[in-house]
Amino acid sequence: MSIALQLLLMPLAAFLVGLAMVLMMRKVRASVERRIGPPWYQPLFDIYKLFAKDTQISHGVMHDVAIMMVLGGIICVVLFLPVPGMSGLSAKGDLITLLYLMMVPSLGMALGVGQTANPNGSIGIARALTAMAGYEIPFFICVAGAALHYGTTDLNQILTIQQHGGHLEHWGIVQMPLLAVAALFAVHAMLGKEPFEIYVAPAEIATGPMVEMSGKYLGTLFVMQCFQLFTVSVLYTTLFLGGGFSWFTLLLKAFAVVFISVLVTNVYPRYRTDDVLRWQWKWPTGIALLGLGMVMLQIGR
Amino acid sequence: MPDYPIYRDPPEQCRTPDAEERSLWGRTLERIADHCRARSLFVLHYCTGCGAIELPPSMTSRFDLERVGMQPMVTPRQADLLLITGYLSVKTLKRVILTYEQMQGPKYVMGFGSCTINGGMYWNSYATVKRLDQYLPVDMYIAGCMPRPEAIQQAFLQLMEKIDSGRAQNWKEYYRRYDHYLGEQQALFGEQFHTPTDVIGEARHYSLFGPETLGEHTAKLAKYDLYHPGQGAVDALEVKR
Amino acid sequence: MNAFDLLLYLALATLLPSLLAPKGRSGGMLTTLAYLLQVWLLFSLLPSVSQGGSVAACLEFAAFGHTIGWQLNGFGWFFALITAVSALIASAYATGGWERQCDHASRLHSLMALNVLAMYLLLGAADLISLFIGWELVSWAGFLLMAAPGGQSVQAALRYLIYALAGALALLTAIVLIEQSSGTIQLDALRGALASLPDGLSWVVLALVFVGFGVKLAMPPFHLWQAPAYGYADGPAAAFLGAISSRMGLFGLCLVLVQMVGLERLVGLALPFSFFDAQSLLAWAAAITLIVPTYIALTQNDARLLLAWHGIGQGGFMLLGLMLGNDLGTAGGLLHVLNHASYQAPLFLAVTAVVYRTGTADLDRLGGLIARMPWAYVTLLLGIIGLAGLPPMNGFVSKWLIYKGLLDAQMPLLFVAAVIGTLGTILSVYKLIHNIFLGQLRAEHREVTDAPWGMTGPMLLIAGFAFISGMLPGLGLYLVEPAAAALGLPMPSFDLSAIHAPNGALDMLVVVSALIGAIGFGALLFLNAGRSYRTQPLDNYAGGHFLTAQTRYQYSHHFYAGLLRVIGPWMRPWLVALEQGSGHFLDLASAASRGLYYHNGLRFLVFGTVVGLLWLLIVV
Ligand code: SF4
Repeated sequence: MSIALQLLLMPLAAFLVGLAMVLMMRKVRASVERRIGPPWYQPLFDIYKLFAKDTQISHGVMHDVAIMMVLGGIICVVLFLPVPGMSGLSAKGDLITLLYLMMVPSLGMALGVGQTANPNGSIGIARALTAMAGYEIPFFICVAGAALHYGTTDLNQILTIQQHGGHLEHWGIVQMPLLAVAALFAVHAMLGKEPFEIYVAPAEIATGPMVEMSGKYLGTLFVMQCFQLFTVSVLYTTLFLGGGFSWFTLLLKAFAVVFISVLVTNVYPRYRTDDVLRWQWKWPTGIALLGLGMVMLQIGR
Repeated sequence: MPDYPIYRDPPEQCRTPDAEERSLWGRTLERIADHCRARSLFVLHYCTGCGAIELPPSMTSRFDLERVGMQPMVTPRQADLLLITGYLSVKTLKRVILTYEQMQGPKYVMGFGSCTINGGMYWNSYATVKRLDQYLPVDMYIAGCMPRPEAIQQAFLQLMEKIDSGRAQNWKEYYRRYDHYLGEQQALFGEQFHTPTDVIGEARHYSLFGPETLGEHTAKLAKYDLYHPGQGAVDALEVKR
Repeated sequence: MNAFDLLLYLALATLLPSLLAPKGRSGGMLTTLAYLLQVWLLFSLLPSVSQGGSVAACLEFAAFGHTIGWQLNGFGWFFALITAVSALIASAYATGGWERQCDHASRLHSLMALNVLAMYLLLGAADLISLFIGWELVSWAGFLLMAAPGGQSVQAALRYLIYALAGALALLTAIVLIEQSSGTIQLDALRGALASLPDGLSWVVLALVFVGFGVKLAMPPFHLWQAPAYGYADGPAAAFLGAISSRMGLFGLCLVLVQMVGLERLVGLALPFSFFDAQSLLAWAAAITLIVPTYIALTQNDARLLLAWHGIGQGGFMLLGLMLGNDLGTAGGLLHVLNHASYQAPLFLAVTAVVYRTGTADLDRLGGLIARMPWAYVTLLLGIIGLAGLPPMNGFVSKWLIYKGLLDAQMPLLFVAAVIGTLGTILSVYKLIHNIFLGQLRAEHREVTDAPWGMTGPMLLIAGFAFISGMLPGLGLYLVEPAAAALGLPMPSFDLSAIHAPNGALDMLVVVSALIGAIGFGALLFLNAGRSYRTQPLDNYAGGHFLTAQTRYQYSHHFYAGLLRVIGPWMRPWLVALEQGSGHFLDLASAASRGLYYHNGLRFLVFGTVVGLLWLLIVV
């Protein structure tokens, strides 16, 4: 497939899969609460409606630019994430590049929210960044362990190593079970779901970063959520679940990752900010450090 | 007859279609948008009245409003539908007006219960507002004291039907007849009443100007310089409320 | 007379204009021009210093039976180039408008020129004695520059002086030890010469060198002096100092550790009863330098102090990279010196522009300035993206190299430590830009405008370079190559835009174009999706509350309350207390002896004699 076509198809696929994941999330939540939940087209209708708003408020140039940065940044991330049949630009930037690119849309959003000049938004960003300090530490320990185990940070090589030969024995989760568990915790916090949903906290800080977002501004954040679900779950699948031979297996695994997270979400209230940090720095970090130790023993140093 | 004009839906033929609407492409997009709007209402509850108690059953597993795409939202910026769930005191009405002005169009208002229609059992009270639609364009009233969830759902479905068919255009009237609404608000709150939002500027920006957007009441806003948001407005807001 | 001689003379001559023309702007302009010439001269030196070559100056003299001389090689050249460019930018900025609010502009210019000269003399040292001469000159010139504004900056500079003197003593001892054990003081002859020292002596030399140069690098536990000393200096001087001054410590440390001792020897030098060897010990010291000051920066309320603390932290990054000894780490460590200078200078300059217009750098007393000072905002934004090490800025490239280097060297814990430092940086730079530029504009800043173009131009220029060299990292790596060659360290293969590695490559041109292309796509979608109305900031959600200019609708104080509740207990300033305690003890002792002296001179004399004799007895 030509690279231009890939650059077109990869974000499109990510968006559609992300929409389905959002739908699944809402459906699962509804069933946990014994409701029926939204019809299948709901996520799409929400986004279309938001983009079709007749009036919307901008708080300044940075507010607008931030939305472009969010949209552009999150699309750019997807281009560096190899999926079956399409490797996109993943040969030009490795795992570390991908992880740091993932921070660009967040930074854009932080700046835009800052310009909306609402303290609820600022508190939301402060909390989001604090939560990031919480989950990125265990996640990067897992990344370090995985990179050492595979001996590479090139995502294509990581996939090749796992898919080599049989089906299961080379998977990250078999080779590094502790790291996989720790990373799952971190991924859950990365998706910003309860009990780590401190920065949205609707009843407390009025949805934090989204407080002044209307129309297409909010719509873009909805789109970002779709992409984020896709990116995070596929990244986890790539690192620990052997990626996918085909789209079918990839989606099966990616949806499973999101599904676990959604199931956990619905039975929890929200932690306080400092408790998120304590929890993340105790359990996932501890497990990840143990896992890292095992990897170090395996590679013999 | 009351001396203020009773506001009703504008007749269909009075709408001047803009250039975008005339093209087939524009009309198709607008048709889809209307359908999506009807099926994806983000709701802002203004829960000061008794009617609020009927919302939890409507939202949760008994009736589950998410089936028809309705979701609660927390700030006016994100919401499409403002629910006024019962009586409004004069003080609350100020906040409701600000909240309404901060919502983004197309936006809809729904009044719950007889209190919003005619004052209900608070008709004799010195502190409550009798008719909501004097101050804001209301799209739908629900009669009853208090309306049952079934009635609320019925109203939601009717509103959706109205939105879907493109008839829920009341929000534009707030811009087109801003002078009228501001006059009513000033009559209640005093001459100096104004909000930090710039309704006239928005009307100009979105070509929602009508014959009654400006008038004797909006002339009183001139000294707050809301026409030129920025420095002037900040000065204006320093005026003691 | 070769180009290096010319450079030294020119650096000396740069002192003159501001001394001769203390009033008016001509002095500053001539100084700026002289820096431009220096940069040009340095570029003309590039062919002779690349591939391990060096240029000797004709300046030399004999003392203690050694010839003391100066000779510039690729390593020194690299730092000298950054010095000259930093000085050029800072001086252009000062001349361009900043000095209108300053009553000692000519002093500032001449002191900065003195600093540059001193740094050249240090960077071009050919032997240990000229190294020490250069080192002392750098310390004193730095002290004068820090103390130039008077007031609290003098206090901070004096504090620096005390640390620097302690460091100099340690350094002098180390030099004597090195000379005694190897019999030579010529740096070229000393290459690898210390590798054969016995273990005990090696540790002593390492410790002394660590103290001597580590003080300048402000490595914990010597980190307390730097932030106030740099932060409270004049704005342009702070930019200059923050960009390059403490890198002199890195220069010295690498000279001894990498060039004289050699990294293989460091790895072989095991610390008894532990898993550590000298190399990993130094790498961990670098990691601590990275983490501790970064999280101290997070708690600062003064924008200048915040930046200065980050300067210390990023120094840890550079040392971390250089301690690895592999190609990626070396390239990353050295490239980070350049990159750090190229974003730290605009950061300080942008903050200075804010101070120039508003009169304060207090992060609790600013806000919403983006609408009033957009260019300062753009500069600061580019700077913080670089400092945080995110794409597309150049800070990302050097950090990427260091991360990859750490993974290649199989040091995952240090990798995690580096990430922890980066996370702290991201948090703290957002606080910086948010509290100054975002949020509600304060009523008293409604009339503020951007700084004059004479100031905005230079800072945008250097920030622009930070962006371009992020897109084309080859530009910076090309300058790093001579330095790595002079040190004898390997370099990865690279071209203008990409760094090649068999297990994960990076092509910044692709990354940046993908990012810009995607953002362009986002912009298309955004701009086509219906119009928006630009409102004023007080039209804002406050739960139905009517906002007025009197409402302080801003969240800035104690920005990361949740985080600090967790890490706060670890951050008690016990070291500050120790420093203050020892200071008070000295105060007390000197007050006591003074009291004794004035009270009864004879008894003081007797007491002094007895103590002196006792000391002699013990020593002899
Ligand atoms: S209509 Fe009845 S139930 Fe509703 S607010 Fe009024 S008094 Fe309460």
